[in-house]
Amino acid sequence: MCFEFDQVSFSWPGGRTILDRQDMALPEGVFAVVRGPSGSGKTTLLRLLNRLEEPISGEIRYLGRRLADWDPPQLRQQVTYLQQTPFIPDLIVRDILLYPFRLGVNSGKIPPGDEMLGAMMARVHLEEVGLDESGAQLSGGQRQRLGLLRAMMAEPRVLLLDEPTASLDRETRIVVEKMAMDLCRQGVTIVMITHDGFVPEQVPVAEVTIQHGQVTVCL
Amino acid sequence: MLGALDIGSLELGIAGLFVAAAGAVSLWGRLNLEKPLIIGAVRCGVQLTAMGYVLRFVFDVKSAWIVMGLFCLMVVFAVRIVKGNVKERQIPFVLTSFLVMLTVYAAISAVVTGVIVGTSPWWDPRYFIPLAGMVVGNSMTALGLSLDRLFSDLKTKQDQVEMCLSLGGTAREASQEIVTDALKAGMIPSINSLAGVGLVFLPGMMTGQILSGSDPMLAIRYQIVVMFMLVASTALTVTAVLAIVRRRCFGPAQQLLIRQGKRRE
Repeated sequence: MCFEFDQVSFSWPGGRTILDRQDMALPEGVFAVVRGPSGSGKTTLLRLLNRLEEPISGEIRYLGRRLADWDPPQLRQQVTYLQQTPFIPDLIVRDILLYPFRLGVNSGKIPPGDEMLGAMMARVHLEEVGLDESGAQLSGGQRQRLGLLRAMMAEPRVLLLDEPTASLDRETRIVVEKMAMDLCRQGVTIVMITHDGFVPEQVPVAEVTIQHGQVTVCL
Repeated sequence: MLGALDIGSLELGIAGLFVAAAGAVSLWGRLNLEKPLIIGAVRCGVQLTAMGYVLRFVFDVKSAWIVMGLFCLMVVFAVRIVKGNVKERQIPFVLTSFLVMLTVYAAISAVVTGVIVGTSPWWDPRYFIPLAGMVVGNSMTALGLSLDRLFSDLKTKQDQVEMCLSLGGTAREASQEIVTDALKAGMIPSINSLAGVGLVFLPGMMTGQILSGSDPMLAIRYQIVVMFMLVASTALTVTAVLAIVRRRCFGPAQQLLIRQGKRRE
């Protein structure tokens, strides 16, 4: 199993219960679509998977090993979370994309060259953006796609995508969804929050629903 | 030393007219600052007079225990002021600040009195107390600025920090830029004073020595030592406190604990 929940509870201090002693299992290699009403805890669920949040009780396992036993940077290098509005530093596009290679966890890895970066950008329709362009000048949709490419750079095994298509037009949304499905076919487990009726195609799908502190998984 | 000319009670009263002038400005401009002004002026007079008696006693008794006790008390008050200037209440920093300030200030003040000025004993209250007082007073402002900047930046730049963490960055990598900015925020005022001293302002210690009849060149040498001492104490205190407090802003999973509005345990 990719992720297993064993009686996991989470609530905000003095506030709502997001998860109430929940058990769940998510196999490796699936495309998990997370749905639920606003405020039900979809983002928190994703953040629990790479320890940006910690459960108040219970245990989460990744690849059979307790999350607490993983070195946090190693875990997050494998289980990478993409924020709903990705933070794009005030750098040129090349440096934004290669940001993961500045981190100690990726030391020794060889960053891709300009040709490869250009090809990756073309896959998400960013071919008009130059590698020496400032990231500050990009539109919301371009920043979203750049954030996705950056998250893929260090080749994670799991991508946690927090509504990656929310700020995109229909055409670009399809491009991003196709890219996520391609990654899934290459063996990357995708856990993606979506508000629309998107259903992944030609990949093993897991429908994850979260509501009133309960989480259900339909394979 | 020739000694400064005496200021009698009548003359002190005349100086009080300056406060009255400030009060008049407040009344004229409807600033509503009369009450804090009067309270501040009275506190200033009472606290300094009390300190005068304490210093006279400490100078007469010349006990290392009393000197160190007074020094500890100064640091306690400085930490209270730092606590008051920092809005963050979720991350503990008071005890750490106290211990670091106590250690750094004591070490620097002892080097200055024992080695540079060459007093015997090194804790001679006539030198140790005023020098330590200047170190404490200046560095506490820097520490307050740095801590406040650290906490507020970690909150407002949560997205930036978590972007780095999410990609596999350590807490240290994710907060490096914020810590550097916080360090600069604390240190720049004391570096600016190094550049401005003698041109833009004459520091109180030098002025005091000159007024009490010291050779201006001797007063200046003392002032140079004090300025260097202040820069070192600020740098060491702020660096050490930030290094410790920064770790407390992250949990065991290197997740950010300090956030706008709420904090996870």
